[in-house]
Amino acid sequence: MTDNQKQEYAADESTDDPTTDDMAIRTDVSESVSASGPTTSGAPVVRAENVDVWYNDDQALQDISLEIPENQVTAMIGPSGCGKSTFLRCINRMNDMIDAARVEGDLHLRGKNVYDDDVDPVALRRRVGMVFQSPNPFPKSIYDNVAYGLKIQNKDGDYDEIVENSLKRAALWDEVKDQLDTSGLDLSGGQQQRLCIARAIAPDPEVILMDEPASALDPVATSKIEDLISELAEEYTVVIVTHNMQQAARISNKTAVFLTGGELVEFDDTEKIFENPDSQRVEDYITGKFG
Amino acid sequence: MSTDDLTQDLTRRTENAPQELLTRSFFFLCAVLSIVTTLSIIVLLTTEAAKFFSVTAPLMGVEGPTASVVDFLTGTEWVINNEQFGVLPLVSATLAITIGSAVVSLPLGVATAIYLSEYATPRARSLLKPALEVLAGVPTVVYGFFAVVYITPALKTIIPNLGTFNMLSASIVVGIMIIPMVASISEDAMSAVPDSLRQAGYGMGATKFDVSVGIVVPASLSGIFSSFILALSRAIGETMAVTVAAGSQANLLNPLNPASYLEGALPMTAAMVNLLTGDITGGGIAYRSLFAIGLTLFVITLVMNIISDLVAQRYREEY
Amino acid sequence: MATERGTIESFGHVSRTAGTVFRYLLLAATLFGIVALTVLLIYVANDAIRPLTADPGWHLTFLLTLVLPTLAVGAYLFRTDPASFRFGGAIVGTLAVSTMFAGGVAMLFVDIVEPVTWFAYVLALCLALGGVVVIERLDRRLPFLVRFVAAGVIVLVSLLVVPGAVTSLPVYPSDGVLLTLSVGAPIALVVGRYVAAADGRRRRVAAVVATLVVVGLGAFVGPLVGVTPVPATVVLAVAVVPTGGYAIGRIRRNPERRAGLGLAAVILGGTVVGAVAVDALGFAGPQSWVDWGFLTSAHSGTAANAGLYPAIGGSILLMVTVAALSFPLGVGAAVYLEEYAPDNRLTRFIDVNISNLAGVPSVVYGLLGLGVFVTYLGQSTGTVLIGGATLALLILPIVIISAREALRSVPDSMRQASYGMGATRWQTIKNVVLPRAFPGILTGTILALGRAIGETAPLIMIGAPNVLFSLPTALSSKVSAMPLQVYAWASLFASEPFYQAAVPAGVVVLLIVLLSMNSIAIVLRNKYQSDQ
Repeated sequence: MTDNQKQEYAADESTDDPTTDDMAIRTDVSESVSASGPTTSGAPVVRAENVDVWYNDDQALQDISLEIPENQVTAMIGPSGCGKSTFLRCINRMNDMIDAARVEGDLHLRGKNVYDDDVDPVALRRRVGMVFQSPNPFPKSIYDNVAYGLKIQNKDGDYDEIVENSLKRAALWDEVKDQLDTSGLDLSGGQQQRLCIARAIAPDPEVILMDEPASALDPVATSKIEDLISELAEEYTVVIVTHNMQQAARISNKTAVFLTGGELVEFDDTEKIFENPDSQRVEDYITGKFG
Repeated sequence: MSTDDLTQDLTRRTENAPQELLTRSFFFLCAVLSIVTTLSIIVLLTTEAAKFFSVTAPLMGVEGPTASVVDFLTGTEWVINNEQFGVLPLVSATLAITIGSAVVSLPLGVATAIYLSEYATPRARSLLKPALEVLAGVPTVVYGFFAVVYITPALKTIIPNLGTFNMLSASIVVGIMIIPMVASISEDAMSAVPDSLRQAGYGMGATKFDVSVGIVVPASLSGIFSSFILALSRAIGETMAVTVAAGSQANLLNPLNPASYLEGALPMTAAMVNLLTGDITGGGIAYRSLFAIGLTLFVITLVMNIISDLVAQRYREEY
Repeated sequence: MATERGTIESFGHVSRTAGTVFRYLLLAATLFGIVALTVLLIYVANDAIRPLTADPGWHLTFLLTLVLPTLAVGAYLFRTDPASFRFGGAIVGTLAVSTMFAGGVAMLFVDIVEPVTWFAYVLALCLALGGVVVIERLDRRLPFLVRFVAAGVIVLVSLLVVPGAVTSLPVYPSDGVLLTLSVGAPIALVVGRYVAAADGRRRRVAAVVATLVVVGLGAFVGPLVGVTPVPATVVLAVAVVPTGGYAIGRIRRNPERRAGLGLAAVILGGTVVGAVAVDALGFAGPQSWVDWGFLTSAHSGTAANAGLYPAIGGSILLMVTVAALSFPLGVGAAVYLEEYAPDNRLTRFIDVNISNLAGVPSVVYGLLGLGVFVTYLGQSTGTVLIGGATLALLILPIVIISAREALRSVPDSMRQASYGMGATRWQTIKNVVLPRAFPGILTGTILALGRAIGETAPLIMIGAPNVLFSLPTALSSKVSAMPLQVYAWASLFASEPFYQAAVPAGVVVLLIVLLSMNSIAIVLRNKYQSDQ
């Protein structure tokens, strides 16, 4: 997380002196890093407390409480319709877009409840990036796709450099460095999804949400995306929804198992979930007795 | 990072940032403009028409010649120079055009819709639909010219006592003009009929003919009906073709008697154009009579559009 | 119940006679209107162009130089290489339509707007835009309102001061040079944009320079070879550059279609060779009513001398006014209804209201214009401005409805991606939704504009004059229009000579304009649908 990028979120109207702002944040970041330590079990970045979600009168999530650690990959698995994607979309309040959806309970991002009345969902989404199920690059050039977040957030800095770094981190730079001006839609499906990941990381969010990012891709592209996710976890907190249990087992540090009816049945280290789950229902689900 | 900074950051309201407010208000005003237009039409037509009638003119503070509502609605003479403002001849001519064009356009339009929705190959559709759009895209004044210069002389070889300006050729061109409207709305309704109904028919051993006529058409009746009303409302409001082709002599005729189509008459829209082509001064009684006809026309077409909308909603709900 | 179940000899046969008859009846009904209109169009074209008045040698010459070669090459390509065939046709079509468009633009610069005035306004606009961009770049941290006010001041100052300053200069370059800069440069930038998107940024500069050189030919070389620089520059900029650019771009992308160039060359070459040949051999062409004189002279009491020039100019000005008014307002309303509007009663009311407005007869809009603009606002009757405003109100519902459809066809995943990045509503609309919906919006607007310039009744209602002898030069001048002129000839001057000569000629010109607008819209729509 580079400091100069941290200073300016949604800062269109900010008249503050950038220097002091910068220094204040720099201290905060170093404190937070020293307190948690990036590789060992991180401090919770996202903490959900008794989250319920309704679509009209249907309850999609029941009383979800969990803590998502920093700089790790947290996977959400479960059968379709279990509410795992719904939960993901609560974190950056994409559910606000659906008129029928109603969220209750608290969901904290670094201690601030994102469902407080004073929180602007737009400002929240600038801190929480998202990668969607099927690749959805904009019909713009590759460069403009990656720079999109920087432009809308009015960020300072050398866009060329940030675009290059983001594409490198998304393992796409070598394939597209000569065609940054061509449309993002001309890429293959797997490349498109990596472009979407580059787009999500370019503005340097704190958390990256991934909603079944590989489900529309072939096995080769999927394995590239999986490698990428593991690498991203060195710098970012990644939350990934997947219907593929092997994928969760391969790439995640923590796994949450949602089962039908929108309840969180078990949340623990991935190894424990897959080798020795507490709940019989989770074991049945993992071993394929029930899906 | 401290929670305070985070809170400050997350609670910046982008929603009410100046550019958001500015753009949102602009878009909202654009949308509201449509309501302003409708209100202006209604207010303008009613106030000006009110100045025309003896009953309401004093309320509007208008002095000078006025016309009585009863005379307007039941009078059988429309002679501006004599200040005879009987709307019946105009209404009868409009009705005749409507019936005449319906005879042409409704069967052809529905047949076109059935062909396009049930029979045509995708390639034929992609050629026929733009061609049909051209029918609706030709300016109506051009249709009027066609009626006078080509269609009437051609018809005269069959019907020798046809007038130079007559309702028959006017009805035919108006009918051709509104075929695309009947066809496209009816076709939408037919495409909305779920394929499962067709499959059920074929599964029972029905032929394509049976399915089209026995299943698809009945299932899309409300859509077809809605297209009829909308197209007829278009025929009623049609102006230039009838102004050029139907003549300028107000003439009370019986729209149900085929013989009356051989002569010319003056539909409401044509009467309005004729009023303005002659020299009329703003504020005179002739000027106000324009708004009285305009109001009549507006109310008729509005009611028809609303009915068509309500009917169309029914078929949208069905599937 | 035990029936005998042996093998089946035959399933029998169900008669299809009724079905087949029905099918052909339907086809006949579908074709009825199209065939009727085609016949009428042939009649009117025959009356207007009178091909049979030409020397048989003239027909024979063109048959040999143009028709037969075109048919031969066209048929060969159509069978062996349909893609090239379409490409060749597209080149000729683009050239024809853009040349017509260039004619209209040239008319603007010859008779309506002085090139120097145009140049001054373009310059002012560039300065204004440049100023706004500089403010945006300089300091993004300034509060929006400060930037907004500063930008507003720059725009106002440059628009108010620069045109006056430029036009009052004692000496300025020739019209051709001014147009090269003010018409050629924007087109060069557009070309550059396309080239950059297709071939990368390096080729952009070359494309921009090439465009400017081609347009400059009209200004510098034109006078030397005896061509008037203003029309030459405009035709090069508006017709030749786009057609050439299209052809070159397509060939770079699909070199295998270059056979299409041959077809285009045969058609264009055949026309030129044929024209030279009939001239040399002394064959007279048809005594068409649609000729240069008809297009460039004003109304006259005798049908043979009557012309359409003021009406064409009026239609062009009306179209510009209507587009300038209805496009932003219509798209704005559509954006509100699709992207902002909550699902409440006001929204539903606006929705129903718009579809009802679309069904209000055009005479009633004319009355609205007459009552509101003339009687209440005290404007003088029949001007470009109130004509344009009335027609804009008339087509607004159509623009809104088609723009809404275009916005609805933007996939929701695009919006989700943008909102997911933390974009605000306006940022999402500006950067993602509008660019994606633009071709669809453009198609709908062109079709609606076609409707507007075919309208007569509203113009009569607002008191547009039936006969006008000079081009309108300002928004407050009286305006005529092509359909209005046709109506005047067909009704006020109704007589055999006008029915035989002026009216068919006017109808043909009007229909050519309208049909090319429709075909542009349809081509755009097909291209845009196949892109998605």
